[in-house]
Amino acid sequence: MTRLKRPLGLALAGAVILACGVHGLRTIRMESRLLRAAPDTIPANSVLFGFAAGHGASTFRSRCASCHGLSGKGDTTQGVPDLTDSDWLYGTGTVSDIEKVVYYGIRSHNPRGWHLAVMPAFAQPIPSPTEKIPPLTPPGIQAVTEYLLSRGGQPADRALAMEGAAIYASSGGCYDCHTADAKGDSAIGAPNLTDSIWLYGDGSRQAIYDSIAYGRQGICPAWTGRLSAEQMLEVSLYVYSLSHPAADRQQS
Amino acid sequence: MSKAQNDVVALGARPIPTPERTRRSLLITAAGALIGLIIAGYALFTAKGTSTLSVPAEDVALVNQQPIARADYFTQLKATYQVDYSQATPEQRRKVLDDMIREELFVQRGKELDVAETDPDVRAAMVNSVEQMSASDVATRQPSEQTLLVYYTDHQDRYSTEGIITALDLVFPDSSHAERAAAALGSALGSGSPVATVISNFQGGNSGKLDGEEFYFAAKLHLGDTLFDSARKLPDGGVSKPVQQPDGVHLLYVVANKPPKLRSFDEARTAVLNDFRNDEIKRSTAQYQTFLTRRAGVQIAGDLQQ
Repeated sequence: MTRLKRPLGLALAGAVILACGVHGLRTIRMESRLLRAAPDTIPANSVLFGFAAGHGASTFRSRCASCHGLSGKGDTTQGVPDLTDSDWLYGTGTVSDIEKVVYYGIRSHNPRGWHLAVMPAFAQPIPSPTEKIPPLTPPGIQAVTEYLLSRGGQPADRALAMEGAAIYASSGGCYDCHTADAKGDSAIGAPNLTDSIWLYGDGSRQAIYDSIAYGRQGICPAWTGRLSAEQMLEVSLYVYSLSHPAADRQQS
Repeated sequence: MSKAQNDVVALGARPIPTPERTRRSLLITAAGALIGLIIAGYALFTAKGTSTLSVPAEDVALVNQQPIARADYFTQLKATYQVDYSQATPEQRRKVLDDMIREELFVQRGKELDVAETDPDVRAAMVNSVEQMSASDVATRQPSEQTLLVYYTDHQDRYSTEGIITALDLVFPDSSHAERAAAALGSALGSGSPVATVISNFQGGNSGKLDGEEFYFAAKLHLGDTLFDSARKLPDGGVSKPVQQPDGVHLLYVVANKPPKLRSFDEARTAVLNDFRNDEIKRSTAQYQTFLTRRAGVQIAGDLQQ
């Protein structure tokens, strides 16, 4: 028995080293395959997707959950978007769109980030530091609020809403970002104002008034240079998985 | 092994080398060295900043060892042809790659030629870029709620609602008319008479500077500092003292006045976070400039040293 102890120990150690080596090589191979694949095609590959999303979950927990929450459901009191629904503020929710946000952020001060749209504060003398937009009067803000309530199918003062529609399409300049039909523009991150999904607040009269009066400009940091390329892709795939359950992915 | 030998081993003394043990030791040492060499070799040819023999998986090309990131390539492909990599034709893929390599080559040549010395646009872009990098670091850090609360408490003046005032700016030809109108305005309004009737009785008129409900900043802009100051503290229905102005004597009649109100931390949180970050960015940029100035050898001409 004593004679067998040492060879057994050596064999065990060898097996552990071999297993670690195999695991390491497999990880390297998978990461290499992952990085070489076109991001939008990865969800169709269940092995690659499972591997990446699994790794991405831990990155999400350590880097993203402090704002987006562990479940990714966000927080409308702080303007943090829900990553589990199908409504995308920037882009259309493809892996490459998500990856772009992870890489370069939103209003992150990274020159490649998304930073075109900033909601002006219309109750300030200078609503926007970059655009020449005049402030609105309190009745003007109330009118636009009523207009947006009516567009969202909520009860609203009809006369004021008509006044608001005129301001929306002229002096307020709202149409410029949110488009003439108020359905938003995901190319610049201007939210759809006609649905029931709100980034800030609950869509109530007061919440809409506050957004128009005080402005909004949330940020998402740029992770390039702070996370590796594979970590950024993995976390993008994990975020994608939050809004695309396995059944949906297989179907697509 | 004899009993005596076993005893020696059991006591922890050095085992007696045998050819079999020597061979095993050499084998283990060799295996360890081989594993070490493999790890070192892998690290050497894949670590960032080293010269690599192959293109890393995260890149599509290396131009003088400068990587062109695959993610940037995919983005560029999508931006140029509105197609995903998997749908792009080989020609489209090649064209985008060639363009990116060309750009990298010209950027590298630009560095060699030190174009920042001659091109003001490049200089401005470089200054902006370095500032943005410093700001980007700050933007990544998420302050604690406690930090934000302290910031909010220290800067409460920034987080009030804008005051709203509805007032009439009435102008009279002289102070006697204005004083009589001021006295009459209070009692007339108390009895329900229209303002217009009262002011016309004293040869007054509405200056038209104010138009319904206005934010304080707008009312101040329209009325000027003096008139606005005499109106802002008045309650609903209040009438100011006559104020002499170049165009006559003014009376401010305040229909409604909602002074600024401090927003709660929860209401103002997004603005607090934004202001906190902007202040941190300013601080960080200033520190960065101080650091750069300290380590630089800046010499200033004698006539400009004062």
